Amino acid sequence: MAQPFTRLRLPARVQSVRVFHQFVRDGAAVVGMTSADMDKLDLVLEEILVNVARYAYQGCVGDVEVGYSIQGDTLLVEVSDQGHSYNPLEATPAPDLTLGLADRPIGGLGVLLVKQIVGSLSYRYQDGQNIVSFCFPGHSTGS
Amino acid sequence: MHIVATQVEKAVLLKVSGRMDADNADEFDKACEVWISKGAKHLIADLAELQYVSSMGLRSFLATAQKLKSVSGSLILCALHGLPLQVFEMTKLTSLFPMFDTTQKALDSL
Repeated sequence: MAQPFTRLRLPARVQSVRVFHQFVRDGAAVVGMTSADMDKLDLVLEEILVNVARYAYQGCVGDVEVGYSIQGDTLLVEVSDQGHSYNPLEATPAPDLTLGLADRPIGGLGVLLVKQIVGSLSYRYQDGQNIVSFCFPGHSTGS
Repeated sequence: MHIVATQVEKAVLLKVSGRMDADNADEFDKACEVWISKGAKHLIADLAELQYVSSMGLRSFLATAQKLKSVSGSLILCALHGLPLQVFEMTKLTSLFPMFDTTQKALDSL
């Protein structure tokens, strides 16, 4: 049975990322996530939060909220902000991974990582909020 | 993240341990920049104790490697493993860096 969300709201800035990591790890522990998978969860969360910190409020201050819900042995995570409508999953074109060192752009890899690690990833704009959500399995058998 | 730099005959060894994330990746940039400005051409990053790297860390590795390439130098990665290795593989970066199991093999390649 679906459980309610546990939520934390902090300023949308890079310095908040580590606090959110600790916060979500409480939920990850409940679903029996391995230490290695917790690091992957940290990575996904960091990439999404850094995008919010950079782009959501366009230089103005604002908050970002992370919520998690235990769904059986899976952790459902939602990241929401009240910035302008912005879908981070489609905002940047996929970087060209065939380019050599001199020509390879140094940005644009965060969303690529998120998409590769998380299978079920979605974005919606609802009630004035950007909401990115994803599921992360607890007892993962994957690599 | 903790960085310890040691100058050897042909290169500078940078032992990087801990977690390289959005909050501290620029410390790696700065550490490398110090040695590049002193004329170092080859930097060897010993990553045996690097536990975590995000895209901001990848950005630092790429930017440093590009700077060194422009002076005919290189950023060599050693003992990349675990999640950091997977992150390099997922972003197809492994082919852009010389990589070795040990720092000794990296030094022998120069």
